[in-house]
Amino acid sequence: MKKLGITALATLIMGACSQQSGGETAADGSADTPAADTQGAADDSKNADAGIVRPPLDPFPSTYERYASDAVLITGATVLTGTGERIDGGAVLLQDGKIAMVGAAAAMTVPEGTATIDAQGKWVTPGVIDIHSHLGDYPSPSTDSTSDGNEVTSPNTAHVWAEHSVWPQDAGFTRALAAGVTSLQVLPGSANLFGGRSVILKNVPSRTVQGMKFPGAAYGLKMACGENPKRVYAERGGPGTRMGNFAGYRAAWIEAAAYKKSWEDYAAKYEKWAASEDEEEKEKDAPDAPARDLKLETLAGALSGDIKVNMHCYRADEMVQVIDMSKEFGYKVSTFHHAIEAYKVADFLAENGICAAMWADWWGFKLEAYDTVRENAALVYAQPDSCAIIHSDSDIGIQRLNQEAAKAMGAGRRIGVDVTPKDAIAWITANPAKAMGIDDQTGTLESGKMADVVIWNRNPFSVYARAEQVYVDGALLYDRADPTRSPRMDFEIGQLDNGYTGGAGQ
Amino acid sequence: MSASMTKKLTCAAIITLFALSTAAAQTTAIMNGQVQTITGGVIENGDVIIRDGRIAQVGADLTAPSGATIIDASGKVVTPGIFAPISNIGLVEIGLDAEANDAGPNEGEGFALSAALNAVDAYNPSSTLIPINRAGGVTRAVSAPNAGDKLFAGRAAIIDMTGGVNSVMKPDAAQVVMMGFSGARRSGGTRMGAWATIREYLDEARSYAANPNDYVRRTREDRFALSDLKALKPVIDGVQPLMVSVNSANDIRNLIRLKNAYRLRVIIVGGSEAWRVGPELQAANIPVILDPMFNLPAQFEDLGATLENAARLHRAGVKIAFYNPQGFGAHNLRLLTQHAGNAVAAGLPYEAAMAALTINSAEMYDLQSQLGSLEPGKIADVVIWDGDPLELTTEPETVFINGIRQDLNNRQIMLRERYRDLSRGDLPHAYRGGE
Repeated sequence: MKKLGITALATLIMGACSQQSGGETAADGSADTPAADTQGAADDSKNADAGIVRPPLDPFPSTYERYASDAVLITGATVLTGTGERIDGGAVLLQDGKIAMVGAAAAMTVPEGTATIDAQGKWVTPGVIDIHSHLGDYPSPSTDSTSDGNEVTSPNTAHVWAEHSVWPQDAGFTRALAAGVTSLQVLPGSANLFGGRSVILKNVPSRTVQGMKFPGAAYGLKMACGENPKRVYAERGGPGTRMGNFAGYRAAWIEAAAYKKSWEDYAAKYEKWAASEDEEEKEKDAPDAPARDLKLETLAGALSGDIKVNMHCYRADEMVQVIDMSKEFGYKVSTFHHAIEAYKVADFLAENGICAAMWADWWGFKLEAYDTVRENAALVYAQPDSCAIIHSDSDIGIQRLNQEAAKAMGAGRRIGVDVTPKDAIAWITANPAKAMGIDDQTGTLESGKMADVVIWNRNPFSVYARAEQVYVDGALLYDRADPTRSPRMDFEIGQLDNGYTGGAGQ
Repeated sequence: MSASMTKKLTCAAIITLFALSTAAAQTTAIMNGQVQTITGGVIENGDVIIRDGRIAQVGADLTAPSGATIIDASGKVVTPGIFAPISNIGLVEIGLDAEANDAGPNEGEGFALSAALNAVDAYNPSSTLIPINRAGGVTRAVSAPNAGDKLFAGRAAIIDMTGGVNSVMKPDAAQVVMMGFSGARRSGGTRMGAWATIREYLDEARSYAANPNDYVRRTREDRFALSDLKALKPVIDGVQPLMVSVNSANDIRNLIRLKNAYRLRVIIVGGSEAWRVGPELQAANIPVILDPMFNLPAQFEDLGATLENAARLHRAGVKIAFYNPQGFGAHNLRLLTQHAGNAVAAGLPYEAAMAALTINSAEMYDLQSQLGSLEPGKIADVVIWDGDPLELTTEPETVFINGIRQDLNNRQIMLRERYRDLSRGDLPHAYRGGE
């Protein structure tokens, strides 16, 4: 909402971004020279062959490495695994950055000398995951200088990548860590039909964005329904209506499909050329690769399923139209974000395998957010094969995803939805992990997964609960009782008369 | 349009009159609850007798008057209603819908008036926000305007959450002004501008009040609208609280100097660094309305923001209450209990958090003799909760305002009921629920 106001600076930045979308190509992500210019000295069988040209899939690769840790057994706690199981008197063994064992404390044997945390009376859950954050892109302090979350310059900015705006020194990351958040998706804002690529981060401080990137996580594409794009572009060339929004999406998908096909055609031609035994054919130069287009590259990635589609969409009717559009172009919507009216079409969402990311009770800031009900998440959850997610979209809200889930759970229970903490914990752990495609690595307490674990001082569905210790890949990165295990960002150092400012848990 | 509006108002008026007349005769006995009186401790197995809109008796082992409606509150918690100390309630229905948002003048349009604006002129008792938040246990609220291009926002009113046509309890309850960065950006971009401007306004208001006839004859700058100066009279008289949006410790110290120089009554709104000035605020008798969940250096003036603000201010003896800064929380006043719970988790004693939700707000607006606690003689704003009011899964079961049991149904409940069954049915969803 307020984020839409900050357009002036975004306009300045835009120049640089759009220039990148010119016609560069890169061979196998490493060669600097275009393939057609390479002379085939090293390869006498083919002329001008430097191999098939493919746009780099991962030009800003993750350099995240887990921090070293000794094995630790957390024992005696109430364990919510995120898989729908609750183990009273449970134990979790963290070893080599992974979850090694989960089960009843009494039944668990560990090597002599393994460090043990007596967690009687405490609760243990998977690390919290926020599927919708703007940390780093709208960091603290919130100034014109740091407002980097919404490229409000064109209805289609699929070419921008949120990671290029992430400021790893955002103090918000530390506060989220103290609230148990171990992974998050940072999305571009919602001013545009196509906002750009998201990035998935591990919530571990680093000097670089690459140092925070979740290794191997797929990219997401941010799209937006409804009011925001039409409001922003109504007097800037459109779209100015919801039908204009849809026309804009569809025109872009048509272009993206053609672009995708041009690369597929090129690949087929290249393969044919490379495999050819025909003398005449061999004499010819290798086929030319299409020119790269960053915008279409992202959209083509969404069409092929490599990039997950995250659709900001409040209204029920719009969600169902988007579902049809996704079928028209053969892509899949991963998640509807801010799905205020999901409860009206929870059956459609479940049938189509689409997650709904919701707030517990935010409402009324615009007309499309008028029909909130507090039972929204529970009503989505109540559908068979559903995928309910609680998200934040807020640097304050991300610190209380457990509380938001608790409110949504409580509201559901009141109307008879059978949901308890062992189920509702998945709304902020397993389900966002699934929607983001990282559920094989994190989101639940299952052996073999990343040891992303939170120890809460009590039931995390209580308002009085606090994360006491937060482990990421087995490393203790936040400890409420130990100030040396509390990250402080550069910005907060040396402020207020060199007093102790900032830090996780502040 | 206008005909139907008149009709609606007439209906509402009749209903309200009917409700008021029944209230006069209504006696209710809430028996055997955990009664949190706020000012007189907690009575386990306590009783509260409500008669003629007022609290008649509070204690243990009371006898229900004959003819009283008896409510068994065993296992429940009984508290005074939540009193929201600042909000846009009744002024905004939809934030981004111009026609459904009267919270304040549009920024950037140079609208001329400021302090003269009066919440009661726009207050809409039929707003859906009122029953939705009433169902969350909020029984009283301050409805306050937002500032446009000028420092002053205008006059706030105290309303009850009945949604009745006579629900404005106290108009002109406070004046609202933006200082700190909010003031600076309305004053040439500098805090110097903000402090100079507020002093100018107060000086002009004094000068006008001293001799209005003389003042209007003098040559003067037209940027001071007479109606604004008139509206500031109770502020310069030290009668009406001035709600000052301010955050940094430095700005707060300036505010204390201003308060002393002009002998103002001041309430701080925001106060993210107020804990750094705790003893001074206590000495200056300035209460703070704060968001106990705010802990980020959102601006440089918030560098000291911490979850412990509430607890530290309380320890320093400063009176606190809570607000939800998202649009002054009009849509979600019902979350003030969650805010309070978070303050407790960050070290505020439970009793202090309950007081911050009730009696402290009343005291800020001189209503402590009528509201904010369960004491005989006070207005019967009473909530029966099905558990700890601060817990996330607790809800009010019964809400009394002015001694009248309130309807807790609302638009959100009706929508939920309409869509609980998604099957096609005999008729479309548009025929279901909402009755």
